Amino acid sequence: MNKAQPQLHACLECDLLIKMPDSISHRTNVSCPRCNHSIAVGHNNAKQYVLAMSLTALILMFIACTFSFISFSSNEQIRTINLLQTFTELYLQEYYFVAVLVFSFILLLPTLYLLSVCLIILSSYRGFGPLPTVWLGKLMSHILPWSMAEVFLIGVLVALIKVTSMADISLESSFWAYVIFAPLFTHIVSMIDNHRLWCWIEQAKEPSHA
Amino acid sequence: MLESTKPITAAKSGLVNCLVCHQLAPIASTHCKRCSTALSSRIKNSVQISLSLLVTAVLLYIPANIYPIMSTELLGDTTESTIIGGIILFLEHESYFIAAVIFIASVIVPMAKMLALAWLCYCANRADKIKQYELTKLYRVTEFIGKWSMVDIFVVAILVALIQLGELMSIKVGFAATAFAGVVVITMISAHQFDTRFLWDKVDEE
Repeated sequence: MNKAQPQLHACLECDLLIKMPDSISHRTNVSCPRCNHSIAVGHNNAKQYVLAMSLTALILMFIACTFSFISFSSNEQIRTINLLQTFTELYLQEYYFVAVLVFSFILLLPTLYLLSVCLIILSSYRGFGPLPTVWLGKLMSHILPWSMAEVFLIGVLVALIKVTSMADISLESSFWAYVIFAPLFTHIVSMIDNHRLWCWIEQAKEPSHA
Repeated sequence: MLESTKPITAAKSGLVNCLVCHQLAPIASTHCKRCSTALSSRIKNSVQISLSLLVTAVLLYIPANIYPIMSTELLGDTTESTIIGGIILFLEHESYFIAAVIFIASVIVPMAKMLALAWLCYCANRADKIKQYELTKLYRVTEFIGKWSMVDIFVVAILVALIQLGELMSIKVGFAATAFAGVVVITMISAHQFDTRFLWDKVDEE
């Protein structure tokens, strides 16, 4: 570990060297003085907060995957779909590329992100032996740009407005779970800055747990 | 923002920033000590890579607009609709809100993104004075709007899943969905490959 200059930070967007303050007060942003790129967000008990929020989001995601999503009825025919069918139907129509993208963007990647952050926080409390926290941290930084829960939510709303004119629509529990999940996920992502995430990973790696 | 002294960048102080875990390392090191990511002071051939991906995306955008994105089967009649055709259909049905959302997400956003990336690549190669603040802001907007063009693909995915009543009414995906998803993914990678630090290096050179 490079402990020589732990407080120095280089801005990701303009490479300016910045001295990180020792403590960042609650709800204040540290941003690059030159290009205004946001570097860290202060929060008093970010670890517990993020852990609680992530667990909530995972439960909501579980509900969203298990219950039915939307049901549609027209001329006495009823069709109920669950969340998984949004991509399995594409897969059945042999649009594999789009199916895989939809599956990853709305379900797989957000879930992996939340699982990783939970595992990292838990092992920063108590070392979980050979848990690859560094690998999880790398994974998180790679999947973050690709999780599109909030985009999917807008897509659902647009599709619903389009369909309501054709038939009767009833929204099921999975839909409401996803409606809460998407903004919650965005909120969690805004709470986890890279600076803080890697502090947690350093804590998880510390040998005092072993 | 005014700066009297010359800004000190990591590259000038002999340090290199890890793009994954944001830890600084001596400039000679090849891999990050913390997360073992390969290090380089600036993304190599950043502008070339992002420009070539951009060209791919522009080419893919053509089939995305020519081919139908979905076909609706209503009581035996099949109507195929392209992205633009779908928007016109909504306008005819006077649902201006959806027309606007689809138009913004699948026409304006991808076009704006491709134009912005082209402009950024052009400016990064230009020798004379450039506006770093504006360009960095432009880059941030480009990165932010990137994923929002997926809205159209998600709408199609939901409609295809939901409206499957056999002969009565059913919707099938079209080839344009694949092409359009490709455009979105490739422009996102292209934006990600663009290294804004090249823009700021120019200030330091002056």
